[in-house]
Amino acid sequence: MARITHGIACSHIPALGVASDFDKWEDPYWKPIQEGFAPTRKWEAENLPDVVILVYNDHASAFDMKIIPTFAIGCGESYKPADEGWGPRAVPDVEGHPDLAWHIAQSLILDEFDMTIINEMDVDHGLTVPLSMVFGKPAKWPVKVIPLAVNVVTYPPPSGNRCWALGEAIARAVESFPEDLKVQVWGTGGMSHQLQGPRAGLINAEWDQMFLDKLSGDTQELRCIPHIEYLRETGSEGIEMVMWLIMRGALGKETRELRRFYHVPASNTAVGHIVLEPVNGAVPPSATVEGAASQHLAD
Amino acid sequence: MTDKNPCENGPDQKIGGPIDIHAYLGEFDDIPGTRVYTAKRARQGYHLNQFAMSLMKAENRERWKADERAYLDLWPMTEDQKLAVLARDYNRLLDLGGNIYFLAKVFSTDGLSFLQAVSTMTGMSVEDYQAMMIAGGRSPEGVRSIKANRDAEGAAVTKESR
Repeated sequence: MARITHGIACSHIPALGVASDFDKWEDPYWKPIQEGFAPTRKWEAENLPDVVILVYNDHASAFDMKIIPTFAIGCGESYKPADEGWGPRAVPDVEGHPDLAWHIAQSLILDEFDMTIINEMDVDHGLTVPLSMVFGKPAKWPVKVIPLAVNVVTYPPPSGNRCWALGEAIARAVESFPEDLKVQVWGTGGMSHQLQGPRAGLINAEWDQMFLDKLSGDTQELRCIPHIEYLRETGSEGIEMVMWLIMRGALGKETRELRRFYHVPASNTAVGHIVLEPVNGAVPPSATVEGAASQHLAD
Repeated sequence: MTDKNPCENGPDQKIGGPIDIHAYLGEFDDIPGTRVYTAKRARQGYHLNQFAMSLMKAENRERWKADERAYLDLWPMTEDQKLAVLARDYNRLLDLGGNIYFLAKVFSTDGLSFLQAVSTMTGMSVEDYQAMMIAGGRSPEGVRSIKANRDAEGAAVTKESR
C-alpha cells in the first residue's frame, strides 16, 4: 500500500534556479539560502520517497491563455524543463509515475474533483526550482514526480478550503494504491510577494510566520483564509500559498514540524520552507457514493 | 455523509459559504497599487498576453527584435496596448489587461530580470528597489486598503479641524 510519509513546502522563485544553475550559492546574497536548505538536503537523502506529488503553478509556460485548468495532474512518462524565454534550465528531465498518477486522477474524479489530465507538457521553474532546492544538482532526479498544476494566475484561483479538501482526497487516493510506495506531497510557491504595480516588493514576514506556525498541529484555520486576505496581506502573488494547503490537507488531521527556514529576500520574494510529518494522517471519508465505493474496493 | 464545511462558521464567511461574486470582485479594487488579474482583465488582454507568449520561441524573438512594430501589427491588439508595449510601460500594460507572467516574456527578451522589470513599476530606481528588498521589503502598513487609508485620513482631518 502506498503511503504519504512527509510534506514539504518550498518557494519556487526563478532566481533560485539561476543561483543553482550558475553556482552562485557562495555569493553573500545567496549563501544564507543555501545554508537554510542544506539540512533539508541531508534529511531528504535519508528519508527519500519513491514519488513526490509536486503541487505547483505554471507561469505561462505549458499553459497560455488558451486553456486555464484549475487543477491539472500530469500522467505522462516524463517532462522536459520548459524554455521560459531564455532557454530551458540545464536540469534533468523529470520522470513521472503514470500508474500512480492515473490512479490518483481516477480516484479524484470519482471523489468529485474534476481534474484536467495532462499527458504531455514541459515543466517550468515552478516545478524544477523546488527539486533543485531539495536535491541540489544531481545527474538524474532521485525521485519520480507527479506534477499537480494549480491555476493561481487568473482569478479566481481555487479557495484555500478547496485546496485543503483536494489534499485530503489525494491522501485517500494514495492510500488505495496497492503498490508499496513512499510518497511525499510538496506544496510550492509563496511566500509573500508582489511582482506588479506600484505596491510591488511587498513582504509580510509576520503573516508568513503565522502561516508557517499554523501548518502544524491539528488546526484547520488556514483553509478558511479568503483570497482578499492573501492579496492585502501577502501581495498579489502571495496567493500561491493556497497550494501549500493541498500538501497540508494531504497530511491529515495532525502534523508536526520537523524544520523550517524563512529568509527575505530572493529577488522580489520571501523564501519560505517547511518540512512536516503526519502525526495523525487520518482524513475524512469521501463524501461521494463512487468515492466511498472505490475506497471499499481497495479494502 | 457530507462533513460539515469547516469554514462555514470560520473567522470569515467569504469562502466556504455563499459568495456574492460582485462583492468578491469589488474588494480587489480597494488594494492600493495593485491590479488583480480578473476575468475582465484576462479578456481585455487576451491578444496582448498571447503576443507576449509567442516570445517563448527563439525564432519569434528574432522577428520581434528585428522590427518590434511590424511584429506587434501581426496581433489583433489595440493601439494603446501596442504603444504601451513599445514604451515598456508595465503599469499601463497591467491596466490594459496584461499579466505579469506573460509580460515577463517581453522583459526577459530585453534581458531584464524580474527584479529589474518589477522595479520600473514602483517609481523607484533599481538600486533603491533592491535596497528596499534587502532591508526586508515593502511593509504592508498603509497599503492594505484604499478605503481604510481614506477613512484614516478623514479621521485625521476631522480631528485637526476640531
